[in-house]
Amino acid sequence: MMPVGKLTRMVAANTLRSPRHFVLSAFGIVIGIATFVMFLASTEQVAAVLEKIFPLEQVTVVAPRASLLGKDISKKLDDGIVQTILKRPEVSAAVPRMSLVFPAFDRGSFEGNDLKFEVGGFSDGVDPTYVQDDERIKALFKDWMSDDKDPHRIACIPPPPDPDEEVIQSPRAPPKGRQTKVPGVPVNDTPEPQKQPSGWDGSIDVHPSSTASVQARQTSTQTRTPGASSIQVGSAAAPAAPPPTGSATGSAMGSAAGAGSAAAIPIPTAAQLDGAPPGIGAPGTSSGTGAPNDPVQVTGKKGEYLNPCPEPDRYYCDDATRRCEHRVPIVMSPTMIELYNGQFAKSHGLPIADTDFVKFLTQRGGLGAMRFSIGLGQTTIAGSNTAIQHRPRRVEGVLVGISTRAMPIGMTMPIQYIQRWNREFMGEEAATTYSSIIVTLKNRNDIAPFGQWLQDKLDLRLEDSLGEKFATALFVIRFALIGISLVIIGISAINIAHNFFMQVTERRRELGLLRAIGATKHDVRMVVLGEAFLIGLIGGLLGILLGMLMARGVDYASAHYVPRFPYKPATWFNFRWWIWTGGLVCAAGFAVLGGYLPARRASTMEPAQALTQN
Amino acid sequence: MVRSARMASPVVRLRDVTKSYGEGAAKTQVLRGVSFDIEEGELIALVGQSGSGKSTLLNIIGGLDHPDAGEVEVLGLDTMRAGDSKLAQMRNKSIGFVFQAFNLLDHLTVLQNVTLPAAFAKDGRDVDGKGREALRRVGLSDFANRRPGELSGGQKQRVAIARALFGAPKLLLCDEPTGNLDSETGKEVIDFFRELNAKDGVTLLIVTHERRVSSVAKRVIAMRDGMLVETTDQALAAQAGPA
Repeated sequence: MMPVGKLTRMVAANTLRSPRHFVLSAFGIVIGIATFVMFLASTEQVAAVLEKIFPLEQVTVVAPRASLLGKDISKKLDDGIVQTILKRPEVSAAVPRMSLVFPAFDRGSFEGNDLKFEVGGFSDGVDPTYVQDDERIKALFKDWMSDDKDPHRIACIPPPPDPDEEVIQSPRAPPKGRQTKVPGVPVNDTPEPQKQPSGWDGSIDVHPSSTASVQARQTSTQTRTPGASSIQVGSAAAPAAPPPTGSATGSAMGSAAGAGSAAAIPIPTAAQLDGAPPGIGAPGTSSGTGAPNDPVQVTGKKGEYLNPCPEPDRYYCDDATRRCEHRVPIVMSPTMIELYNGQFAKSHGLPIADTDFVKFLTQRGGLGAMRFSIGLGQTTIAGSNTAIQHRPRRVEGVLVGISTRAMPIGMTMPIQYIQRWNREFMGEEAATTYSSIIVTLKNRNDIAPFGQWLQDKLDLRLEDSLGEKFATALFVIRFALIGISLVIIGISAINIAHNFFMQVTERRRELGLLRAIGATKHDVRMVVLGEAFLIGLIGGLLGILLGMLMARGVDYASAHYVPRFPYKPATWFNFRWWIWTGGLVCAAGFAVLGGYLPARRASTMEPAQALTQN
Repeated sequence: MVRSARMASPVVRLRDVTKSYGEGAAKTQVLRGVSFDIEEGELIALVGQSGSGKSTLLNIIGGLDHPDAGEVEVLGLDTMRAGDSKLAQMRNKSIGFVFQAFNLLDHLTVLQNVTLPAAFAKDGRDVDGKGREALRRVGLSDFANRRPGELSGGQKQRVAIARALFGAPKLLLCDEPTGNLDSETGKEVIDFFRELNAKDGVTLLIVTHERRVSSVAKRVIAMRDGMLVETTDQALAAQAGPA
């Protein structure tokens, strides 16, 4: 048998001697492998992006819908079920979600447009620790109502209702110089972070725990007489402020101001104003001048109501608690941006949102511009809010970020808000029933047994996962694309077979000579197969290079000519090591396959006849 | 037979060798019971008309073709029973082939052509040195790096002979070696063969239809229709002739 080194040298010399033969044989392989690696790398990248959006080891547990005589009798998802699920060995985390179960109505202003939209059914709550996409969300996405040490929560005069509007717009902030300040708390003058996109405005931590104002505000409460415009400051009565855990009954919420019993959390007084009280300077006025516990109020030049709260980008004066409250932090899914960019922005002539949401916000005037009013219990759909147990009221929300863990269409906030509102408007049952439970499994292969267990033991089921559907679709697409490229490579193998049959016939004398000077049949076969292998290998390498080059081209075109959209990757390809290794193996393998029959013919050819022919 | 047994064993020993090509009506009987011996150091001319079976006989001796029946022993190897690997080894080490059409590989240099047999040999020491020595013997030392396309017919045949001599064979099988050469060049080649036989003791079997070649042979074997019809060695002729 021929030594490998000598075989290699002979194969190399034979392969490279005829460029025509080489090109004819390798062309198909080059094209086939180029498409093969490109398809694989692109589907790999798409799969990676999809997995980021839809983590496959995460499943959503829902209760199967059941109704009797029009009444919903679906199984209740509650803390007990969450605990039961958490005890399963294959489960690493279970996070409940809760939907807003009564109507609500949003009103906001964006780019000078007055936007109104229904959010009942399009809002849900989730544990804040579950949404940790970036520093800003980490800092702002939490239940601010439970933070009773927040020095910003001072007494204030809420905005007057507008007889023409059910839900008024979030009142404007006073000019910088006239904004209320909280002693000991740094004031953020910069509108929106330019260099520190993580924070609201470069300074996330606004809660020094030991300031004079914190101590001061815990000593008194404020109240107002229903219907009266005058302000009373004192500790005689407290409004029913919602406790952070949401244990107050809905009927006690905010409606009967002044009639409530003791609040679960201390109600702060007016802030100790930093220097001159707000509203100084004609014609604006402010109430509570000079009195440290007075509710703050700031009016504009024409006497209009301005947001009296410190850091007006974040705090507003709440109708129910009559204190400055942090706006409800809200996250939205990238799908919303996609919808906005794809449909809404075009039809309304609004700017396209950047994938870099922070950058986009900075350009639009900071997160402060992303605030809006939420009319809880209010709806434009007549007769659809008859079940609610409470008078509608207004809160303010602010968009703090984009998260893949937000509900795809709608808005997501810390679950404590939803719980409180559901309790307030719909009762205890609504505040303890989750809409779904997001379960993270230790291993994605456990999905099927876990789903079975859910069905058998808890009578619950897994929600059809969009991610799974996408993964299936992607699998099919990938299968088809690989099929196409394999067909190309297969055809190129046939092409190689054809070329090699011709070659073997053309080279009869040469192959006969090799036999005459000492080549065995096996040697001759190996020479021909080796040539096919080398053509496959070089063709494969060229194919991979071509594929990568084409990928570069696609990426370039994508970067320069395709508009931005959420999840738009910097590259559409992920050339993992196994892709190009697989490409090479595939190229060489198919080439050897194509060369097999010609090689066999070459080895069984009668050298005597081949040599004597002229 | 008695004579053969007394002598050293022959380089080639053929007994009742038959060979046919094709099947049925198209069947052609090429060899019809050929028997003869080639002793070491002989220079034999195998003559006969085209289609008389000379080349087939040569290929059977070289292990490139298999007879249908009979006995073939070459350099002590029973080629009827030897495997492909043994036969290849014999061709590589002990037998040199020279063809009418030279069969040089145009993409290789002269030296590479000469050393081509080394590709199939396990030992690879001083391949180029041996190749240059073979070229020197045929008088083409200066042509080592040329390509066959740059050579004349006579030079090409000398390169082919150098290649045949590369492995220092005991037996040289030449199939019409002067067929593509002009008479002058052909004469040079014949002279070289005679010298090779005389000086180095290489056994030569030359298939030819040229009288000039047969004139230098120590023995001439003539074939007609697949049978030996004439040999200058009367004793062998009596044995192998038509019974």
